[in-house]
Amino acid sequence: MMYLLKENFDKAREALAGAYAVVVPDEVLPPKDALFPRSETLYETDRRTGEARAAGAGGKTLLFGVRPCDARAIGNLDAAFLESGYVDANYAQRRENATIVALACAQIPSPACFCDSMGGSPHEAPEADVVLTEAADGSGYALDFQSEKGSAVAEIWKAADLIGPMPAHLEKAPAPTCTLKVNKVPDLAQKLTAAFEDGLWERLAEACLGCGCCTYVCPTCYCFDIGLENRGGTADTFRCWDSCMFPGYTQMAGGHNPRWSKTQRLRNRYLHKLAYFDERYGRTLCVGCGRCICRCPQGLDITRAVEWGERL
Amino acid sequence: MNAANPLLPAACRIIGITDETPDVKTFRLQTQGGAKPFAPMPGQLAMISVPGAGEAMFSITAQGEDWIESSIKRVGALTEALHELSEGDAVGVRGPYGNHFPVDALKGKDLLFVGGGIGLAPIRSLIRYALEHREDYGKLDVLYGSRTTADLVFKEDLFGNWPQRMGTHITIDVPEDGWDGHVGFVPAYIEEKGFSPKGRACILCGPPIMIRLSLASLYKMGFEKENIITTLEMRMKCGIGKCGRCNIGSKYVCLDGPVFSMAELDELPPEH
Ligand code: SF4
Ligand code: SF4
Ligand code: FES
Repeated sequence: MMYLLKENFDKAREALAGAYAVVVPDEVLPPKDALFPRSETLYETDRRTGEARAAGAGGKTLLFGVRPCDARAIGNLDAAFLESGYVDANYAQRRENATIVALACAQIPSPACFCDSMGGSPHEAPEADVVLTEAADGSGYALDFQSEKGSAVAEIWKAADLIGPMPAHLEKAPAPTCTLKVNKVPDLAQKLTAAFEDGLWERLAEACLGCGCCTYVCPTCYCFDIGLENRGGTADTFRCWDSCMFPGYTQMAGGHNPRWSKTQRLRNRYLHKLAYFDERYGRTLCVGCGRCICRCPQGLDITRAVEWGERL
Repeated sequence: MNAANPLLPAACRIIGITDETPDVKTFRLQTQGGAKPFAPMPGQLAMISVPGAGEAMFSITAQGEDWIESSIKRVGALTEALHELSEGDAVGVRGPYGNHFPVDALKGKDLLFVGGGIGLAPIRSLIRYALEHREDYGKLDVLYGSRTTADLVFKEDLFGNWPQRMGTHITIDVPEDGWDGHVGFVPAYIEEKGFSPKGRACILCGPPIMIRLSLASLYKMGFEKENIITTLEMRMKCGIGKCGRCNIGSKYVCLDGPVFSMAELDELPPEH
């Protein structure tokens, strides 16, 4: 096991800046922006001939300090964009070019974290290429290099003399447990789907403003809109994040809207997170990062839908 | 479909426009190189874009050696822009998307095609297929209605090609000078014709109210849900099951649809 002293943490990040565009996720927004940007050009069209030319999707990036829940969320995005059905070209290119360095949670960052109730762990990030886990004495980080991309990072750090073998007397600190405990029953997906007509959905959605904040901060929300910007003789077709919490999301040109009410929209969001994605991809979309709970101006809380499973 | 990037359209041009009704036009499209953009199965969809205006999903109503055809009703900004195009103008086309009518499972059956308004467009792809593979299917009937004679689409088929090759039953909602055909709504006309459900499947497509009442008629006549097939319309952006908006429960209409039997729809949440 390799080891990085805490005092070398910043240097370790800086040492990577030569080989990669290093992105350090902030606290509020998830790192998905680096792989699935909030807005990106898909192709450029010659307006006269209709000829479309695909736009490039960036060079080598490295996400530094990704939370385990967010790394897991990237695994879910991979499932949606790459693994089942069509391959999304832009996502594939960015993902291929991205290295993920995860930072295991030494403390639970937010009272709304519940990743360990959703099958994750504050210390495990199998989707990451490198995982930094604090040593029990707080002096530094144990390093797990989990892929070829991870080995490339190890080489850079070794060359800069920033890492060495972990001293024998040290061990990883034990994983902390999330403060928010939610009992997710094994058959939650089936139970919630079966309760589609239940009146509780309406009560859950009652205070929702339809602001879409929950979807914007969610590491696993991947809905998008496709739009167009004219530039004289050419036009750029772009895609940007969209939100299933907006009525316009499903509004059809003729006027009909299959999800016209906010109850239908919230129910669809919760069921996508807790049931529909499971059915299609065999994994639960919500990773329990807690962001939507913290950021909802109306205090809506997806764990109420998770816990409801116990009573169904 | 562009294998490397399924969201990338192929450069195409309009090689023919038919005015079907005051607000429906049929566009015949081929690639700038003079080829068919792709070979769709009946019921599949194409994303058609107007350079500089945007794109939308349409059913493919017909195909030939080197073209595909979509019939498009003017309902919003994009379809408005399409309607303003002329022969020779450039468009983008990507697809084909979605499942298709179960042409194999329908083999050996009598087929009853029931359409209302522009709803005949997706059905027409299957009618053409069945006529091309005539020996695979039993008796064929089409029952089609619209508000007035001016609103009837595919008049050349309705009054020229089809009556010689299959039962063709046309109705308009209200009497009209010079019309000596049937007058009345589609659901009542289905019952009046008394089609037997035995060995017969019904392919039904049209405005929601017509669908609802026609279903009631078909059920009354003894048609099973497995044998009634329809196509759904949803807002679509990607066509490849990613952008999220066309879902009904865990199904995406752009991937798992647009063709569903009533039995399959019964399994899904009522959100369409
Ligand atoms: S639904 Fe909420 S808790 Fe779950 S992953 Fe998204 S933001 Fe995090
Ligand atoms: S953040 Fe809260 S209020 Fe805003 S759309 Fe989401 S659930 Fe509704
Ligand atoms: S149109 Fe995007 S998921 Fe179906």
